[in-house]
Amino acid sequence: MLCQHALILLPLFVATLELAIPFFSKTSGLIYLSLVTFIFIVAPKRCAIGDWRKILPSALISALGAVATFALANHLDLGPLVASAIVGLVGTFFLAEDDQLKIYLGAFVGMTSVARFPSLGLVVVAGLVGGVLWQVLNETWNGVGGRLGTIAAAAVLVVVLTLGGGL
Amino acid sequence: MSVLLAMSLGLLWGFAGYTLRKRTKLSVVAVSSWLTLVAALVLPRFFHEGYLFALICTAVSYVVMSSSNRLEKLWETLVVCLICTLLVYFGQDVLVGIGGRLGTLAALSALIFIVPKVHFGLLKARRR
Repeated sequence: MLCQHALILLPLFVATLELAIPFFSKTSGLIYLSLVTFIFIVAPKRCAIGDWRKILPSALISALGAVATFALANHLDLGPLVASAIVGLVGTFFLAEDDQLKIYLGAFVGMTSVARFPSLGLVVVAGLVGGVLWQVLNETWNGVGGRLGTIAAAAVLVVVLTLGGGL
Repeated sequence: MSVLLAMSLGLLWGFAGYTLRKRTKLSVVAVSSWLTLVAALVLPRFFHEGYLFALICTAVSYVVMSSSNRLEKLWETLVVCLICTLLVYFGQDVLVGIGGRLGTLAALSALIFIVPKVHFGLLKARRR
């Protein structure tokens, strides 16, 4: 359980530090990266994934939501808010309730700015990571509003810090 | 003045979200999506700081996704919406450009309320 908390707490930790110390973000990249590395060394050993068979569909649905939102927001110039709302609404018409949450999680990942994700490949990777994290963190903070966004932010932070240009 | 307007809008969106969740059969994703869509389309047209207000209302729409076990009553939801409004208003430089930023701030506000609530609830239960 500690492992799950460590994973989901990453973006909250980042947000709290940036809220508390306005100039923290200038030196924060290194600290975040070491935290991410630590978590990903610990995570595979300690995190128990409920059902491995659910990981691939979850990752694909999340990646689909991320790509759709990113494309709508940036290529059709709808902006991230409208784009994520459209993806969420379309999801409610075609998907079961659990899958709606996964596509909405992907939509949050897709709200990332072009400055952070200059290529669509990074969006796909972040979407896939988001879907995996969803399965790993499925029972963590159940019923807390904003949980999906926190998982999405964790996925985006992991990709930005490892494959992207950093914070 | 601007912060008061933001707080009013945050409370209004929180109330709308709570009502939609209680009175309709819409899923949590549908409620949040509708609230976000209306905020993003309407508020920037009417207010100078409309985009900021839309961000606040979007974050509030994530707060109302909380389950009724966590936030049972209307006043609880509204208090968390108010905390969320202030966090987004004063935390505009936090996690800029990172997807899930608003959700993170929504979760932070929910936890600010829920953790003491659970803690004091447990303390009360132990005293009995």
